Amino acid sequence: MFAREKLNQLKERFGTAIQRADQPSDDRLFVFVEPSAVKAICKHVFRDLDARYVVSIGSDDRPFSGKFMVAHNFAFDREHLLCSVLTYLPADNPKVDSISDVVPAANWAEREMRDLVGIEPVGHPYLKRLVLPDGWPEGMHPLRKDVPWNHVPEEFNDEREFKFDDPPAGCTVVPFGPFHPTLDEPAHFRLYIEGEMVRGCEYRGFMVHRGIEKLAESVLTYNEIPMMAERICGICGCVHNVAYAQAVESAVAIRPPPRAEYIRTIMLEIERLQSHLLWVGLACHIVGFDTLFMQSWRIREPIMWIAEKISGNRKTYALCLIGGVRWDITPELKAELRQVLDKLETEWRAVVAAVSKDRNIQKRTRGVGVADRNLVKNAGLIGPVARASGVDIDCRRDHPYAAYRRVDFNVITENGCDVWSRVLVRAKEVFESIQIIRQCLEKMQDGPLQSPIKDELPVGRIGLSSVEAPRGECHHFVITGENNRPRRWRVRAPTYQNLQGVPMMIKDQQLADMTISLGSIDPCFSCTDRLETIDLKSGVTKVWSQEELVKLVRARAKKT
Amino acid sequence: MILGGLANVAIVLLVAPFFQGVLRKVTALIQSRQGPPIWQAYFDLLKLLGKEDIESGETPFMQRFAAYLSLATVLTVACLVPMGFAAPMNGAGDVILLIYLLTLCGICTLLAGLAAGSTYSLVGISREMMIMIALEPLFAIAIVVGAVHTQSFRLDTVLNGSVYTTGGFPWSGLIMLAVMLLSFQAFVQRVPFDISEAETELMEGPLMEYSGPKLALFKYAQMAKLVIYSGLFVTLFVPWGADLMFPLGWLLFWAKVFALVLLVTLVAATHARYRIDQAIRYFASLLAVALVALVLASYGF
Amino acid sequence: MSVLSKLKETLICLKAGRVTLPYPAQAQPVPEKFRGRPIFDAAKCIGCGGCANNCPAREILVFDVCQEIRILKYLGRRCTYCGRCADVCPEKAITMSHEFENATDKIGDIQQRLELFMSTCQRCGRCFKEPSPLEQLKLKGYRFDDLQNERWIFRSKAYLTGEAAVDDIKIELD
Repeated sequence: MFAREKLNQLKERFGTAIQRADQPSDDRLFVFVEPSAVKAICKHVFRDLDARYVVSIGSDDRPFSGKFMVAHNFAFDREHLLCSVLTYLPADNPKVDSISDVVPAANWAEREMRDLVGIEPVGHPYLKRLVLPDGWPEGMHPLRKDVPWNHVPEEFNDEREFKFDDPPAGCTVVPFGPFHPTLDEPAHFRLYIEGEMVRGCEYRGFMVHRGIEKLAESVLTYNEIPMMAERICGICGCVHNVAYAQAVESAVAIRPPPRAEYIRTIMLEIERLQSHLLWVGLACHIVGFDTLFMQSWRIREPIMWIAEKISGNRKTYALCLIGGVRWDITPELKAELRQVLDKLETEWRAVVAAVSKDRNIQKRTRGVGVADRNLVKNAGLIGPVARASGVDIDCRRDHPYAAYRRVDFNVITENGCDVWSRVLVRAKEVFESIQIIRQCLEKMQDGPLQSPIKDELPVGRIGLSSVEAPRGECHHFVITGENNRPRRWRVRAPTYQNLQGVPMMIKDQQLADMTISLGSIDPCFSCTDRLETIDLKSGVTKVWSQEELVKLVRARAKKT
Repeated sequence: MILGGLANVAIVLLVAPFFQGVLRKVTALIQSRQGPPIWQAYFDLLKLLGKEDIESGETPFMQRFAAYLSLATVLTVACLVPMGFAAPMNGAGDVILLIYLLTLCGICTLLAGLAAGSTYSLVGISREMMIMIALEPLFAIAIVVGAVHTQSFRLDTVLNGSVYTTGGFPWSGLIMLAVMLLSFQAFVQRVPFDISEAETELMEGPLMEYSGPKLALFKYAQMAKLVIYSGLFVTLFVPWGADLMFPLGWLLFWAKVFALVLLVTLVAATHARYRIDQAIRYFASLLAVALVALVLASYGF
Repeated sequence: MSVLSKLKETLICLKAGRVTLPYPAQAQPVPEKFRGRPIFDAAKCIGCGGCANNCPAREILVFDVCQEIRILKYLGRRCTYCGRCADVCPEKAITMSHEFENATDKIGDIQQRLELFMSTCQRCGRCFKEPSPLEQLKLKGYRFDDLQNERWIFRSKAYLTGEAAVDDIKIELD
């Protein structure tokens, strides 16, 4: 209804620029447009229709249609619609207008498109390398179909260094990462510091890019990819597993049986429980409160045990296949799961009651890492970060999948926009997850775990899937292909989007608050990078000089 | 006398790692885990002393000097503190020397960070400098209050509960007791005031370039500081029973130090670390209160 | 007040007591469905190659010495313990054991090599009944994975042309 309406409006406004549209189901819309109209249409969708930006995808479609393809995905959360604006570019001139000036959240996705597929976003405000390492030769784009998956370029230039921007006047540079005790994964934030205040930063990441998308398109097959997809992340693997399976199922119109959907929901919520408890512990560790770190991890441990009993592993559940799940929840496991949840709920209530009055922790987290509603809209922030700024979005309710249509739950929002609000959102979401699991255990009925698949999957279909990971919306885009594997698979992890908001969050804050601000988006760099390990000279430079620092200290001592 | 001083040094060297072990074990108990054995600190020191002595950082000579100086200063203070007996080297110095030596301990950390010369260690020592400026006066004022009451700078008179020796109700003494209790964590560099060495923010701060034997000296100095500051606190503020007969008085002293270490552990385990500006504001307000106590003391209260 | 919440937190901690498990001093049993190291049973294996085809990490190699002898080798280096091999095996010859203490400095401890006598079907793949079209055998006929360098060969006729086959996708059936 809504989709049809909007489509008609777009057709009226943009006329022949819209070549064709597909609406395979109520909640999906694919609009194919002329390359010249892409920017105008995206601007209209993002600003006038107030959609949320999800991701931009570039794909080498030359072996099949002779062209390159670009897709910009948007989400209409209130109307439960995921839509994609697609266009085809000529093979000899893959250029398209950049949408980053009208949709600031598209900044990274367009840079990645350029690095990996070679599609040039014309007019992009900040065209620097994002994903590829510094020495990678120009003109060689790994995700193109003519580059083999295990190709090692001889022209790799070890000596070439990344050129960092100059810091603004009056600021010195403090490098944060790639090796730092707070970060479990490598990332490099080059902070511009004035005194103890952060005035800006430059981010250089993608050091653990492992080439999963290329592997999926060249070597793996449909049912093998879920096992690799869940290794994208070290904490929230199940989300990628389920999101990929759902994207393929949506592309070829296969629906898993109800029992499988309930089991997927239960495992996803179990993962959310353990991820949120892990995060609360980690946030306390960052502010130096190790006791609460140990206690929340102690409370979290029984969840890991029950997950191991159900799926065979504490974290990599290896749950989904196309059209179903592999593990069943027996009545004994159900009873045990209920016990674990009861105990967890009691213990966590006690902790939340104690912590919410604790002024010591609040002093470190209130007013820190502020992300207002404007930043949430422009940078496309999602998950608890957005909900803590009062933006009411949650894929479980807005784009329901698995068994979420059949359970009732609340979406927790807070209005503080700071780290403390994010702590509260995550702490309270634990109780909602417990409710969801209880309802699923109640409503689950016996039945098969796998839908029968009679034929090979049709080729060239597009599937989208958005799953609410503990960190935000995890979005997968799949184009089905030949030889039992997808033509293109694009993973947009939530941290990919949230990291783009971090430079604004840490601006004009103290250096000491940088780690907790970064930690409050619950960063998962492995999810963000998804890549290929090549040796990288990290480019860390030390710009402090003794005189500068002594002057700085004297200036500050005078102030104190 | 000299033997007394040396005996003090030996006791501190022997006992400091034990208290560190107690601190770690009790922290572990609160965190629901097993924790290291009580003797772990001894093993750690032995391990560090046996490692290769790497000279990294910008000024190796200053690094070595800072390491030796820090342990040396702390042990010199040990000679002056009465530990269950009268202050051993009484005639050798007075409370002014004590305050000076304690400040010197702090300066050694600054030298260490400066010698290392890396970004994080420099940020660490700038924080340490700010804290020292706000913190050392508190202890100095406590000693001066005692000195004002007893009209003397001698170690054995001041370090003997002198803050309470007024004619009437010891207002200044009690105020100083509260102030010192509230700021004690910072003296012994524990959460919530271990800001200069915040691991998750600054990668160990001033001590970043230290490893092996030099790190062992610094760690030893830190452990000894815990014992010595506790000892000073006990003799200044909780001196009762110090004049009992030999084994009892001595044992009572160490029991009080143990209780203080437990209190430090409890507070450290249940608090988050404060930011530098919050800490400075906190110390500044304590300083204001301490000055009030000093004024009261000069008027005989 | 802050002090009250600190006391509450301390009470939570003390009530919990010590939760550290004495592993490795005491063995820690794992649940029944635990996916540990896969164990291949040569007595049950029929040499169909279904496990090799469905291993996401490409860690199972197949090599035909001659018409009657097929070697199946499990390398175990990148094994992700996903259990797909055990899922698709038609004879249930693979079990995901409970062994998780697999760290070793001799790769031979983990590798498993099966020499199988192939009597009737060497070529057509009929003995492998795939659960769904998504698991069908992609490489039927003779298999010549590179046991020496321990990697998969994607082209099944590579032995004829004698080249090192590193490219992929064109799958040829005999």
